This record gives sequence, structure tokens and C-alpha cells, in this order.
Amino acid sequence: MVESANRIYAIKTTAKQERTVADNIEKVIREQKDIHVMAVMVPEELKGYVLVESPDSIARIEQLVELIPHARAVVQGSTALSEVEHFLVPKPVVSGITEGTIVEIIAGPFKGEKAVVKRIDSGKEEITVELYESMVPIPITVRGDSVRVVERSEDAS
Amino acid sequence: MVVRKKVLKVCRECHRVVEGEACVICGTSNLSDDWAGYVVIIDPEHSEIAKKMNITMAGRYALKVR
Repeated sequence: MVESANRIYAIKTTAKQERTVADNIEKVIREQKDIHVMAVMVPEELKGYVLVESPDSIARIEQLVELIPHARAVVQGSTALSEVEHFLVPKPVVSGITEGTIVEIIAGPFKGEKAVVKRIDSGKEEITVELYESMVPIPITVRGDSVRVVERSEDAS
Repeated sequence: MVVRKKVLKVCRECHRVVEGEACVICGTSNLSDDWAGYVVIIDPEHSEIAKKMNITMAGRYALKVR
């Protein structure tokens, strides 16, 4: 397979300004012709960085950073797309959670409560839990990303 | 004064970030405001990322739409 000429560079940004930086990069690239950027990627998992796909050398990317507010620096070195392509297919948030897993609810009215997972809906990315310390079992359906795994169930069978 | 950022929506079919009430490309109003990950495709013909994601049009896309 022919390796593409495009490299992936990481640009450090101000926290929570990743999307703004991506938009600004697009704006700057459209206005001038010296720097070539094919795409800008902002993975959710990678806080404080944006990934830039470009055939240019790192010096050009450093030049680009100078033009963009909230962009701070270029991480030295570059990588191939194969290293970062897993960001393009985000794994479902409910993966790694099985029935019987003890989770802590981290958002919503039951924040801070521990609960046992009863049912998983991977399509909707929702899980149904029962509160640990509740006298009567009340099933509560919460979003998959509003829980944190405390302890995995021992028998997965 | 705190200025709240406008909530952008994403087309559930093409994952394109849209401003307004309907997707410009698909024409559907099947939009979602619960999305994560962000990709700006500038040159879809030469972009490896665009090829991986089967995107043929430049624009702003979300990686994950709920």
C-alpha cells in the first residue's frame, strides 16, 4: 500500500476552545494559499488538542499556529493516520459495562449514588440500574456516559 | 456579560453540523443536539480522514451522534 503524503500534527489549544480553533483553522486556510490543510479533527477524548491533516512540513504548521487565536503550539513530530484513525470510530460508551457491574452515577438527580446494572441498551446507549442502598428495587434508566464503573462483575457468564 | 454559545445541531443521517432547522444536504429535519467529536474537512479529495469517513463534501461533521 502506498503511504499517503499526509501527516497528522497535533496542535495544543486553550482548554475548551478546540472547536473554535478548528473553525479558525478552516477560515485561515481558505484565505491563504501557502499552508495546506486537508482536514482538522477534534476527538472528544483528546482534550486540549486538535489534530491537523496536512502534507506540509511542521514549519508550515508552526506558521499556521501563529495566525490562530487560542492555538498555542505544535507538538514536535508527526504521525500517520493509522495512529489516530481509532478516534474516527468512537466506541459505544456502554462497552465494558455488563449486567451486574457496580457503577456510580455521576450526573443527574442520583449523582453520587452507587447502583447495580440490570439491563443494557447498546443501541440507545442507555443502561438500567437499581440503586444499591435503596430499600425497594426501583429501576432507573440513565445515559451510558453518566455512570462510572466502580467494580466489574466477577462472573461474566 | 455571559454570552451563551449557540447550540449547533447535527444531521442524524450525514453527521453534518447544521445551522438552522433542516440539513442543507439531506433536506431532513432529523437533527440531534447530542453529539461529540468534531471534524472539519477542507479538501475531501486529498484528505485521508475524509476517505476513511466516506465524506465527499467539505464541511463540518460530528464523529458521534446520539
